[in-house]
Formats: sequence, C-alpha cells, structure tokens
Amino acid sequence: MAHPANQPKLTVHGSHRQSLYAAAGVLTLIAGWQVMSMWMHPAIVASPVASLLAFYGLGQSGLLWRQLLITLQRLVISLCIGCGIGLTAGLLAGTVPRIRSFLEPIRWVAMTLPAIVIAVLGMLWFGMGGGQAIFLVAFIVTPVVYVNTVGGILDIDPQLLEMGRTYRFSRRLLLSQIYLPGIALPIISGLTLATGIGVRGIILAELLGAFDGVGHSFSHAWTHLKTDDMFAWVMAALALMAVLEFCFLQPVRRRLRRWQASTVQ
Amino acid sequence: MIRFEGVDKSFADLSVLQAVSFNIGNGETAALLGPSGSGKTTILRLIVGAIAPDQGGVDVPATSAGYVFQEPRLLPWRTARQNIALPLRARGWHKKRSLTEADKWLVRLGLQGFENYYPSQLSGGMMQRVSIGRALAISPEVLLMDEPFSGLNMELRETLLTLVCDVIADGKLTTLYVTHYLPEAIRIAERVLMLNSNGELRELSRADQADAINAFVQSVSHGLMDADAVNFRRDKKSTTQLSDTEQKPAAERVLERMKL
Repeated sequence: MAHPANQPKLTVHGSHRQSLYAAAGVLTLIAGWQVMSMWMHPAIVASPVASLLAFYGLGQSGLLWRQLLITLQRLVISLCIGCGIGLTAGLLAGTVPRIRSFLEPIRWVAMTLPAIVIAVLGMLWFGMGGGQAIFLVAFIVTPVVYVNTVGGILDIDPQLLEMGRTYRFSRRLLLSQIYLPGIALPIISGLTLATGIGVRGIILAELLGAFDGVGHSFSHAWTHLKTDDMFAWVMAALALMAVLEFCFLQPVRRRLRRWQASTVQ
Repeated sequence: MIRFEGVDKSFADLSVLQAVSFNIGNGETAALLGPSGSGKTTILRLIVGAIAPDQGGVDVPATSAGYVFQEPRLLPWRTARQNIALPLRARGWHKKRSLTEADKWLVRLGLQGFENYYPSQLSGGMMQRVSIGRALAISPEVLLMDEPFSGLNMELRETLLTLVCDVIADGKLTTLYVTHYLPEAIRIAERVLMLNSNGELRELSRADQADAINAFVQSVSHGLMDADAVNFRRDKKSTTQLSDTEQKPAAERVLERMKL
C-alpha cells in the first residue's frame, strides 16, 4: 500500500470532453429541427428561429414568466408531496417487510393507472385548475420515488446492518449512517426520474384542465393555430426542466454526495 | 461470563449446533476451532444476539462486546477514523472525543497517515486493522473475533496477533477467538473448544492439545503441512515447503506456548 502522500486524491469533476459531446448533441437536435421545419409547412413545424422569436415575444410581454412561475410552483409543490410520501413510505416498506407487503398492491395500482385516467379523476375530485395538476404529478411521482427507495434499502449490505446492530447503533444512527447513505444514489436516480415525469405530467394536467400555466398556454396556442407560440411553449417546458436541473437536481445531487462522504455528525 | 447451555440451532432443515454447552469465565480467553460450516460464526452471532437459539440458553451479561468480523464490514462512505469512532458515538460519546480516541487506535494499529482514507482506498490488511480498532476502541468487556486474520500475510498476522494478545492481557477481556488453525488458537487462548462438523462441541484437554501440537510440529518439520496451515506460511497461495529457518522458530513458538 502506498503512503498517503502518494495516493491519488478522490475528486469529483466534470469532464470537459463530455461537455463538448453534450454540446454536439444539442446542436444535432437543433439541426434536425431546422431540417424538419424546412421540409414541412410552418403551420405544422415552426423553425427554430421563428420559435425563438415567439419565445422572445412572449418573454417581452411578461406572459411567459407568469405562466412559467405558475407551472413551476405547481411542480415544486407536487414534487415535494410525491417525494415526501414516496420516501417516507419507501423507508418504512424497505425496513418492515409487513408494510412492504401491505403497500405492494397500492404501488401496483399507482404505477399501472394511465396518467390520463388519473388526470380525469383529479379533475373530478379537485375540479378544474391547479389542484388537479398537483394531484396528478404527486400521484405519478410517489411510486417512482417509493420503488427507488425500497430498492435502495433492499440493496444495502445486510452485513453492514448486522455490524450496526452488533455495536448497538440506535435507530437514528442506523438511519443516518447506514440506511440513508446507502440509498443516496437510488434516491438521486428516483428524483431525476420523478422530475422528468413531473414536468410531463404537469403540462398534461394543465393542458387538460387548468386555466393557466405552460400547459394551458400551449393548449391555447394550439386552439388558435399559433404554431410558433406552440413551439415557444415547448421551449418554455424545456426551460422549466433546465431550471429544475440546475437549481434543484444538481444542488441536491451535490449535497447528497457531499453528505454521503461527510464526517460523522 | 459467557454461558451456553444445551443450545440447538438450525437454519431451515440444516442443523448447525446440537446441544452445545460451554462456559467462558470473566477475563478468560477461549479459542473455538472447527472446520468450515461447523457453526463457529453461529456461536458468535448467538452471543451478540443477532440470532436466537432454537433450544437451550445463551447467557451473556449485558456488557459491551467488540466483534471483529471475518470481513472488515466497514462503512464505505466513512473514513477509517470515522469507522472506528462510530461505535463510540453509538455509546453517547461526543464527536470530537470519539474521533480523538479513534486516532489513538489508528496510531496503535500502525495506520497513522491513513485517518482520512475511505475503505476503498485501503488494502485488505489495513481494513481489518481498522475493524480491530473499531472493536477495541469501545473498551469491550467481551471480545469476539471471527477468523480475523485469515486473509493476511504471515508478517502482518504475527504483528496483529501480538497486539491483540497484549490488549486481551491488559484489559483482562473475556475473549472468544474463532479460528481454523490450532497453533493460532493455542497461541492466543487458554482453552481450546473444538466444534465438529456435526455441530457438537468438546473442549480439548491439555493432553489432546499436546497430541495435536506434536502432530503439527511433526508435520511442520517434515514439510507436510497442507495449505491450511497458512499462519506459518508466507502466503495462502504458496505451495512451497517451509524452509529450515522457518520451521524451527515456528515449532519453538508452539512448544513454548504449550510449555512442553
């Protein structure tokens, strides 16, 4: 074993080369979009430039920011509810087999019901507006986080748990030192998946039964055959995902990784 | 005192222990020998309460037990010092004090400079030393060791065995040491318990131990030891016979310990 001074330090760093590949992927996507718009009628596919101009126009009018904020608020609330329920239920089910068996049929139903059915039920129970959108996203996000949490707990090395119990770790210590660090990575995957599903779900719910938000605005543009605006709202939805990625997911990932490797609290 | 009274233990249809009875007095050191799968680890798990006996009684006082597992079982997301400090934290020690105590054990185990290394950055021997530090740092009254040196080379094995013998003697720990190897058992323990493949336990008398040691010394001197006698070999994979210079000290150490 080499002396510590000669050991390579563990560092987490983004690769410059990987960023270049990602940029090339984005450019290819835009190029493909441009080619499609040149082949098809502008009423069917708006060009990137036309969409960007429409996006700019919506931004200038303030409509874009108002609708984005409304959708973002709904999304954050529904993700908090879905992740909170999924994580709590997952922790309980992962550690208590009886609870896992009890929740299994509920998980199965929640994961099997089509989103459109949940959206219609949401409209029936909560009426038209933001409530049904929050319900839909929370409903479809919960089992995703739950499954990842349970899977993470079941994958924890049972020998580590036996070690913890042998040394009389309290429940709190078992949770903070073995369970939670052990499930950090599955939770990150669950959160990423849930956020992607959440963005799609919130747009769908707003499109079907809300009076505002990005989904509703997309529907409005569609009704009035404003293809440029439709594509601008698609860009707005992507921007929403980007905001969540950079302002929520990446800080959470960094924090979880840092916490996983943090000192004894 | 550790007391087993007529303990039976089965896993599914497999009977592992049958009517096992023994006592280990306070401050006494016993070695538990037996072939693989004979139930040695099951006895340790019964002692710490990880499993319950099917029949019979296991009487262990509610004392702190240090357990050195066969594999290190370190938390991969914690550094060496944090791994040692955790059982102290579980006993209500303040964070700073527990880390200071962990550092003392790291120095004693020859791991200074590696305090902030994660298990994945340490060798197998280093990880097992951290595991030993974790068991000893809590100042246990009962020390349980499950073939702790089985994967280590001879030199490191000797060093750690000496350290453990010193700690056991200093602290007058009640110790149960599980091993495959008779010379190691005799070196560390006052009493040798033998578990056979049927899960039956008997204590080797001094005469039994002497016979076994004589057979062992004879086989060493004839270079006939099989690969299991790795504690007197350079490494586990070696098939070379012990050299003359290696045979004599090995045999002498055994005879000295046996006072033969």
